[in-house]
Amino acid sequence: MKTILKYAAACVALLIAIGPVYWLITIALKHEIDQFAYPPAWFSFRVTFEHFKAAFGGGSFAVYFGNSVILAAGSTLAALLIGVPAAYALARFEWPWRDRVSDWILSTRMLPPIVTIVPLFLMLREVHLINSLPGLALVYTGFNLPFVVWMMRGFFNEIPKEIEEAALLDGETRMGALVRIVLPLVRPGLAATAVFCLIVAWNEFLFALILTQTESAMTLPVGIAARVTQYEIKWGAMSAAGVVAMLPVLIFATAVQKHLVRGLSLGAVKG
Amino acid sequence: MALEISGVTKRFGGREAVSSVTFTAEVGEFVVLLGPSGCGKTTLLRMVAGLEFPDAGAIRLAGTEITQREARDRDIAMVFQSYALYPHMTIAANIGYPLKVRKRPADEIAREVEDVAGRLGIKSLLPNLPRQLSGGERQRVALARAIVRRPRAFLMDEPLSNLDARLRVEMRAELKHLQHVLGIVTLYVTHDQAEAMTLAHRIAVMRDGKLQQFDTPANVYHRPANTFVAGFVGSPSMNFIDEGDVTLGVRPEDVELSTTEQSEWSSARVWVTEEMGNETIVVVAAGENHITARASAESKLDFDTPVWFRFREGKVHRFDRKSGARI
Repeated sequence: MKTILKYAAACVALLIAIGPVYWLITIALKHEIDQFAYPPAWFSFRVTFEHFKAAFGGGSFAVYFGNSVILAAGSTLAALLIGVPAAYALARFEWPWRDRVSDWILSTRMLPPIVTIVPLFLMLREVHLINSLPGLALVYTGFNLPFVVWMMRGFFNEIPKEIEEAALLDGETRMGALVRIVLPLVRPGLAATAVFCLIVAWNEFLFALILTQTESAMTLPVGIAARVTQYEIKWGAMSAAGVVAMLPVLIFATAVQKHLVRGLSLGAVKG
Repeated sequence: MALEISGVTKRFGGREAVSSVTFTAEVGEFVVLLGPSGCGKTTLLRMVAGLEFPDAGAIRLAGTEITQREARDRDIAMVFQSYALYPHMTIAANIGYPLKVRKRPADEIAREVEDVAGRLGIKSLLPNLPRQLSGGERQRVALARAIVRRPRAFLMDEPLSNLDARLRVEMRAELKHLQHVLGIVTLYVTHDQAEAMTLAHRIAVMRDGKLQQFDTPANVYHRPANTFVAGFVGSPSMNFIDEGDVTLGVRPEDVELSTTEQSEWSSARVWVTEEMGNETIVVVAAGENHITARASAESKLDFDTPVWFRFREGKVHRFDRKSGARI
């Protein structure tokens, strides 16, 4: 009885999670005329790929998709390149004000993002980075940086100091010990952190909406929303774009799932 | 290659963790740093390793000053208490790592690793990962990693303290033999006086960052420099009796006991006895003082039995009561 209840609960949770996604996929594949049939055609309908063609074939969604890929990958890479060494320094070296600096880094995440948008807009405009991918990448990097620092600091703290010291005595430089001994050991954490950064950057809407106005710098979330126009809502194209937007994150998260779970629980226990 | 430590001082905050320590470990010598936790012995070892740097003083290895050199440039190997194996590498890769860092050819590394693993009896473990090994096996791997490149000096930080009692004694003997065969100057940190006595050519006893005595185990035991050394080395501990400006010290084996009255012996009553199997430790109460004596295993003494005792002639140590120094 208990088992049945457990499975029932799991099924309900699954339905709630999968339902909208399934709905999205069917809309993307249905002819316009079937999209709002009542009662809805859940399983049997004529499949068409015209919405995908409309969205990506020569359309601006291909540009948005490319922008999103460049932005997510670029800003994640930048956040890791800056954040990982910072986290290492915070975890390993003794220096005055160390704890205050890490608190200060964390505090930047306590701000609701929207309060920074006006100053960011003004600053970026001043340096002509409005409406540009580098401008957005800069903002996303800054946004993900505290997260990278705090996650990775926890992971570094869990690696016993002696392992690194052993490497130093074995003849390694600090950098060599970091690259060949420590980083392989924190790989699960690195993977989890990277996936989170990617997802945040990939899904980000607010900054992208306000800091870009032209198609050349628009990202997928903004582009999709822009299909709600004054005269009509292009459900099919929006859904098709939505389906494609889901894929990269899905693929990436699945690929590193093993690391993801371990990484998260590893960080949770200590640090 | 001799290891020379002269006037080495290290401060943490305002506190001196190591205060002007000076001694020289000669070529091939096994020196044990002995002291209670927090006495600065590990800090001293880490300064020799290059993991900490002294605020004053100098460290020389084979005549060359290495005080400010990076750890990797010292050619010193260290065995850590936690073994500090690389968890993501096989045992073979762990042992071969110091050679790999030195860019030695792969076939040579493989040969050396085989050789060292054979010597320590861990050849069959080479393809495994550290987490698949027992504590004793990990200990051997750590040792193998330290000796594979024939360093100029060995440092060991309580390497046996994570092993169970039986294994510890076994590894202790093995370690001593290995050090003798290799003939490499070794600095070994422990708080276990039995380890110090059995392993060392000479013991450096430390307390509160200061070197108390640097001498052979026999001299540390039979001619302790002060009451601290006298009390720290030997089990059970030395008896101390204050007499005016002098503190008398007598080891339990130098206390003679009798159950019959002897002229000019002091009388006392049995306070407690501890049977060890091969001997019995007897603690007697004589007025204010508790005196510990070693007695034969056969002596059956109940609580409160009247006994008589005296100190063996010529076996009484005398210390200055104020400074604790040997007179």
